Amino acid sequence: MAEPQVDVKWSMVVDIDKCTGCQACVVACQSENNVPISTQELYDQRRQMTWIRVERYWEGDFPDVKARYIPIMCQHCDTAPCEPVCPVFATYHNNEGLNVQVYNRCVGTRYCANNCPYQVRFFNFWEPVWPDSLKNQLNPDVTVRSRGIMEKCSFCVQRLRRSERDAAQNGDDRPADDAFDPSHGAFAPACVRACPTDALVFGDANNPNSRVASLAHSDRRYHLLEHLGTEPNVIYLKKIDPEAGDGNHE
Amino acid sequence: MRPDRKLLLLSLPVVLIGGLVATIIGGFVIWRVAAHYFYPLELIAKAAPTQPIRFTHVTHAGQLGIDCTFCHRTVTEERTAGIPAVQQCMFCHAVIKGVEEDKASEIAKLQEYAANDEPIDWIRVHRLPDHVQFTHEVHIRRLPEVLGLGEDFQIQAVCSTCHGKIWEMEEVRQVRALKMGDCVDCHRANNAPTDCVICHY
Repeated sequence: MAEPQVDVKWSMVVDIDKCTGCQACVVACQSENNVPISTQELYDQRRQMTWIRVERYWEGDFPDVKARYIPIMCQHCDTAPCEPVCPVFATYHNNEGLNVQVYNRCVGTRYCANNCPYQVRFFNFWEPVWPDSLKNQLNPDVTVRSRGIMEKCSFCVQRLRRSERDAAQNGDDRPADDAFDPSHGAFAPACVRACPTDALVFGDANNPNSRVASLAHSDRRYHLLEHLGTEPNVIYLKKIDPEAGDGNHE
Repeated sequence: MRPDRKLLLLSLPVVLIGGLVATIIGGFVIWRVAAHYFYPLELIAKAAPTQPIRFTHVTHAGQLGIDCTFCHRTVTEERTAGIPAVQQCMFCHAVIKGVEEDKASEIAKLQEYAANDEPIDWIRVHRLPDHVQFTHEVHIRRLPEVLGLGEDFQIQAVCSTCHGKIWEMEEVRQVRALKMGDCVDCHRANNAPTDCVICHY
């Protein structure tokens, strides 16, 4: 019985070429993680909560307009700007490469959100409310965050814990790496499970056999705001434009 | 020279109120320090609640020696131990009506629940603080090794680590503080993970 293995590094690959902007990941995340419902009013106040969002960009002039989509969630940066600014150590990096938010430590200074270049941290300005019809859909594995604390994508750590449990019952050391392995113990966040086009891939970046590790070596790879040196654990694969025609990818 | 009567009279309420405040603050500090070192003091206020049916573990787990996991079925697989359904009580109590007057009346209550197809509103005894995601399964799996129980052991020995000798309790009450300090002390002592996100998410 020892500390969990430190050589795991959870990582995600987002293939922009496959993303159709369908928002399935957004819905999946919302229901998995008890994220409060963002109303028009909250959007107007810029206090909406979406742990993962799909940003849409228009490219070109009418009539040759193309829609471009980028799903953006917490990048779980190795050198996260949010971590050193927290006065109470409510956010820190754990030994599995996760950027962790500890709700019961958070005192709500909002320094972290202000220091995050990706705008993926959300502050509970109000006590979250759900309509009566949704009272029973809350996930019991996830804390319902109360007013005055910060929250963000956790890479669905509750699913990681559950799959560790499943793996141990099957006699394995840790969850399987391949998120699409249907066997017991495979671990993937809700957004990855929900993605219909397989644009999101999740796994252990330190395992050379995982899909994430192989995709991470693609020549299409880039990080968001790479020049900031945040070293994110979310890797993006850039769009292949069929009209550009070099087609020499993957 | 005689002391100033007026000054003496003025200082009297100051001394009295000051003494009172000092007693209250001092008493509170001593109580908190004592509670910190002897945490069961915090449990004195936690008397066993009166349950809707006077179910006794002494009969079931003690005298009859029924395994904990027979009723709390999900404890070895899930996060929660699980409260048995009324139907499960009726496995036996459809036949066993009780001989003594006081016991028979309680069993009659149970049969009424079963006849009406109603669940029993048990009052929860062990409730952990908010923001903790506790899993029974992993503790049941690891504790035999920690306690050095070997291959052949009774599950009661594992459960009683935190829950006490339930089989000797007429009414179930909490015997350990089950606060974070309690958890972390045990985790540190046994080299279990102490990463925040193991329990808080």
